[in-house]
Amino acid sequence: MKKACLMLALLPLLSVSLQAQKYFTRDGHVSFFSDTPMEKIEAHNHKASSVLDVATSRIEFAVLIQAFQFEKALMQEHFNENYMESDKYPKATFKGQIVDPSAVNFSRSGSYNVQVKGQLTIHGVTKEVTAPAVIKVQGGQVSATSTFNVAVADYNISVPALVRDNIARNVRIDVAISYQPMNN
Amino acid sequence: MKYLKILLPLLLIGGGVAYYLYNKPHQNMEQANADLSIAADQLFKAFSEDENAANTAYLNKVVQVSGKVRSSSLDENGISSVMLESGDEMSGVICQMDELNDNQRKEFSAGEDVTFKCMCTGMLMDVVLVRCVEVK
Repeated sequence: MKKACLMLALLPLLSVSLQAQKYFTRDGHVSFFSDTPMEKIEAHNHKASSVLDVATSRIEFAVLIQAFQFEKALMQEHFNENYMESDKYPKATFKGQIVDPSAVNFSRSGSYNVQVKGQLTIHGVTKEVTAPAVIKVQGGQVSATSTFNVAVADYNISVPALVRDNIARNVRIDVAISYQPMNN
Repeated sequence: MKYLKILLPLLLIGGGVAYYLYNKPHQNMEQANADLSIAADQLFKAFSEDENAANTAYLNKVVQVSGKVRSSSLDENGISSVMLESGDEMSGVICQMDELNDNQRKEFSAGEDVTFKCMCTGMLMDVVLVRCVEVK
């Protein structure tokens, strides 16, 4: 009897977790760091959008290039006008998949290490990337973090010789997302 | 010696200009002149109908946008974001308040009419405007 009561009490919880098969955010945090002996450069974007579909393990991100905020105005200007050409390529996107979806149990609290693989498009150039990510489930809340490196040259971004030593060849990207369930 | 007399001041001026440019401040949004004024629902319509044309028209421009608050939120750094009604149920016009301006209102109530001056960055799920300051 006790068991049956417990089951009944847990039933609504189960249906909630089954309904919320898609998660999204519109205020994800994406930042990048370029670290050289000459200069450290970082920029932050707090308006990344992302959708995570539990049923298919698909995960997508998009950021607007002009929403990256730098400490120095001049760097922000160069970043938009010279390197990223954000008037021509206003977005960077990632469309991919959790490689090992069985590693995550979305209905159980925990911290799950996964690999995410997919197409990363920056500056109009699309490359396949694989990045490690941590998906955290806590009390029905889902969040995700990832850190990976991107080679500037891979995305057809040319850096003038004059500042070549100031900008790292590999830029570190940090992603931190708190998801909300999507109501269908 | 004669050359030095000419060169040295030039070098100093050049260095000074470079130093100023390197440290030049971000655009002051309170003092910025709006390139154009538009209602939030019209801005959203422009982006959802023809994103490329809207990018050409609004990207990286100081846009003065007016609309009704749908919701607002505060992020972990204390920066508020205000979602304006767009005429679309799912998507809206997001205005992220200027992080470089400390004396800004943080609380906005749903249904309130507001006008912001912002930088337009484009559209994802919503039209995203950043560095917003309230215009009273």
